[in-house]
Amino acid sequence: MKRVPVHILAAGLAGLIGLSSIPALADDLVVGAAISLTGGLAYADVPAQKGMQLAIDEINAAGGIGGKYKIELKLKDSRSDPAQTSVAAQELIDDGAAVLVTPCDADPSIGAGQMAQAAGVAAFSTCASSPSLPLAVGDHMFTNFPGDNVQTTVSAKYAIDSGYKNAYLLMSPDTSYTMLPNYFKTVFEKLGGKVVGEDNYSMGQQDFSAQVTKIKSLSPAADVIMTGAYEPDFPAFIKQLRAAGITAPVIGSDGIDSPTTFALGDVAEGVVFSTAGFAAPGNPLDAFNKKYKAATGSDPDTIYIAIGYDLVKVLEAAVLKADSVDRDKVWAAVRELENVQGATSTITYKGTDGVPLRQVALVKVVKGNRELVLQEAPDPALVPAPKL
Amino acid sequence: MTWIGRRAITRMLDLAALNRTRPAFAGALVLIVPVALVAVVAGNFLGSAEQRIAIIFLINLIAVVANGLYSGNSGIMSFGHLGFMGVGAYLSAILTMTPEKKAMTLPNLPEFLAQAHMGLNEACLVTIVVIGLFAFIVGTPISRLTGSAASIATLAFLVIVHSILNGATDFTRGSQTFFGVDRLVTLPSLLFWVALSILAARVFRDMPAGLEIRAAREDELAAQAMGVNIARRRLIAWVISAMMMGVAGAMIGHFLGAFSPKKFFFVDTFAILAMLIIGGIGSVTGAVVGTAVVTVVMELARRLEESPILPSLGLPQVFGLTQLALGLGILFVMYKRPGGMLGLAEVDDWFKHRFSVAAAKITSFAAEKRDGALVVANVAKNFSGLKALDNVSLELRPGEIVGLIGPNGSGKTTMLNAISGAVPPSSGSVTLDGVAVAGKPAFRIARLGLGRSFQNIRLFKEMTVLENIEVAVSASGRGGDIRAEAMAALEELSVAHLAERRAGALAYGEQRRVEIARALALKPRYLMLDEPAAGMNSAETRALMTLLREIRDKYGLGLLLVEHHLELVMSLCDRVVVLNKGQMIATGTPAEVQNDPIVIEAYIGRAHSAHSSPSAATERSLS
Repeated sequence: MKRVPVHILAAGLAGLIGLSSIPALADDLVVGAAISLTGGLAYADVPAQKGMQLAIDEINAAGGIGGKYKIELKLKDSRSDPAQTSVAAQELIDDGAAVLVTPCDADPSIGAGQMAQAAGVAAFSTCASSPSLPLAVGDHMFTNFPGDNVQTTVSAKYAIDSGYKNAYLLMSPDTSYTMLPNYFKTVFEKLGGKVVGEDNYSMGQQDFSAQVTKIKSLSPAADVIMTGAYEPDFPAFIKQLRAAGITAPVIGSDGIDSPTTFALGDVAEGVVFSTAGFAAPGNPLDAFNKKYKAATGSDPDTIYIAIGYDLVKVLEAAVLKADSVDRDKVWAAVRELENVQGATSTITYKGTDGVPLRQVALVKVVKGNRELVLQEAPDPALVPAPKL
Repeated sequence: MTWIGRRAITRMLDLAALNRTRPAFAGALVLIVPVALVAVVAGNFLGSAEQRIAIIFLINLIAVVANGLYSGNSGIMSFGHLGFMGVGAYLSAILTMTPEKKAMTLPNLPEFLAQAHMGLNEACLVTIVVIGLFAFIVGTPISRLTGSAASIATLAFLVIVHSILNGATDFTRGSQTFFGVDRLVTLPSLLFWVALSILAARVFRDMPAGLEIRAAREDELAAQAMGVNIARRRLIAWVISAMMMGVAGAMIGHFLGAFSPKKFFFVDTFAILAMLIIGGIGSVTGAVVGTAVVTVVMELARRLEESPILPSLGLPQVFGLTQLALGLGILFVMYKRPGGMLGLAEVDDWFKHRFSVAAAKITSFAAEKRDGALVVANVAKNFSGLKALDNVSLELRPGEIVGLIGPNGSGKTTMLNAISGAVPPSSGSVTLDGVAVAGKPAFRIARLGLGRSFQNIRLFKEMTVLENIEVAVSASGRGGDIRAEAMAALEELSVAHLAERRAGALAYGEQRRVEIARALALKPRYLMLDEPAAGMNSAETRALMTLLREIRDKYGLGLLLVEHHLELVMSLCDRVVVLNKGQMIATGTPAEVQNDPIVIEAYIGRAHSAHSSPSAATERSLS
């Protein structure tokens, strides 16, 4: 076989790479997504990207936003690495992105968000739920998922409304839901409840006998238990809790919105958790799920798909409001958005620090199935301020 | 600074030692120039995204070179170095953040940290000192472990540091993002630290500590027998590489501006190790080349996956090509070159012959004159019930040649091991010029004046002949011009022409001679040779006999010979000690022993003893 000279190969490769940037039309909304399509964050960013793509295809097929502005998605894999995210974000900003989408985690989102902030570009994390994210970056950073403080405002109010007065909190400094029980505490106490005990656990600790013993000995006894624990800690905790004969209801967060929880059997019966949405017949999420199935042939397997769809619906509303794809005007419009109808909820950024006011669904585990307890937007006055 | 030892510091500052490292300096320069070019071009002619890629490349370079300094030289793959990077990132960030920012994000910091506020380079210096101390404490137990136990210990260290970073919430915000760090990294300052790291790593490799730790990587037993304090050498490499990782951490922290402990865990550990393994774990050039190649390949793969090329060819746009390319790259390199692209080669290997090896000035390997002898009294060694040595006593005086003979399995090599400290005796005493040495580590006994060779040659195979000898000169701790003394030892054994050859590539007889030269380079008072004539033809054996006699006469050494070659034993030795089944059955002049009926019986059995000519029979069975 004759060898292809190296310089021809190199020239070919260089040529192919040169093709890669096709200039966007002036009337296109350029969305740069520096998100994690591989690595540890892909579990959330890949579905979010699918949802975004569905919304973009839908909008572009209808002639663009308001029949005028098509959406161009520039996608770069940030490989779940903050350093790679910063490279991808820089390239996208340099490439003229009017909006930057960042991964489902605070580390890379803060770094990329600060770059977007400096460049005057609005940045959205696909699904990071830490409300301190915009606080750490500035007024150009937005979150998309219901924040931890928003979720717990709804769950704490539900607890009070259910007649629970004494809460026990189980939290961990080394998980991604560190602050969540603290937000619950703030709201619960504001509404007249009392926290009668709280403990820390370590991620992966498995043995919760010390905590369970303490809960048993509480006086007054806890009539509700709230935790930010998720796998593998939540299953271990709930099993040991129920084995000790403690029947107090347990409230969790979106961290346990996973198939594991529904497969736990009797011990998980009655567990209530907050999450971004619930598909009830005829509601928007149900409609979205049907649409997604029609487009892809499969049911959405995680809420992050609908969350990605929501993100693009927000951008659509902002461009409509601004009647422009200029990055400054789009950013200014996002800050004024109210009650944008997404797949999971209505979404409001007006009057917030960048963490949207959204409806939160409370879901109860009933015989291994999900049952909607309630779905509502929290009272903005009750939502605790983000804590660093 | 007592932990390095005053002697070691004197040696580090020794100009002669630095002179040896001139090729290493030149080699480091050759590596630094293209790296600097990358930084200068990126900084002046490329866009901000490319500058970010260049910065990440340079930071990775520090980390890869640092990890190689320990893993490559010691032969112990470290999975723990990212831990130091993490500590470096957090510590330096706490030092550079303004007190106002810290009051907001880290309200529970101790006062002295809350008020600290300095520039990045100053913070790097503080980080280097603190991490040096930290690494010293952690490394002290780890450096006593060997092989995979040491590797696993480094892995445990990584997990522990990760837990601490997650748990020390007052300092790190736990698993939450640590943010508010100013992005202070600039290409020029980063380049300074990269150049310093490359220089340090490259020169360390040829400094006494680097030389000795590499010898231990090749053969721990032989290195100890040459006087190498392996644990201390590993500790030095561990501490220096940890300091460099701390700088890499400070740089990545001040580049990202926001990070959490997971940035310094398994994923990045394997990314750094992949670059090191692809380039060649045993060389600084390999570390630099590996980092560069991986960066280029991954950037090309990334551009391919982001471009519309694949879709335009009717293929789906696939993400993950970068990892795929990296994985295939590792497989390919490991298949073609298991030691990595560069193996153990350094860039200066190409031109180091231009640096002349200093001519030998030293002509004497005589140890200082002392009274005394090597006295072995009632030494026993049990291996789980088996008595390999049973109350054996012998004495070796300077200037004397004693032969140790006996049938296979009689305990001769065990005897040498018991004396040299390779296998401490179960009971009994060994004194070297009046100093009790039984139970002391082998390297201490070697430094007290006991040299040895091994039955199955144990040279440091991947090192040059000259380096083999330099290890012994260096580890003996006597200072001076290591290279000149090493050359002199080679000349003594008439193998100076082999100096630059790889030791493992020599012919058998040459290896034997180099091994004796290496033992001699320790300037021993006593030299124990385990079957030095094994595998030699009769001409070589006669030459060896002449040589051993000369060495003895010239330096007044006491020689203990384990040998099966009776002609050699009988004509060379002043006295002979005969072992059988771990017991000493005879001792005396060669003639006395040769005619001792007990000896004859031990060798050929009772039935034949009356009829056979003892010397002929013994020789048959022994050879």
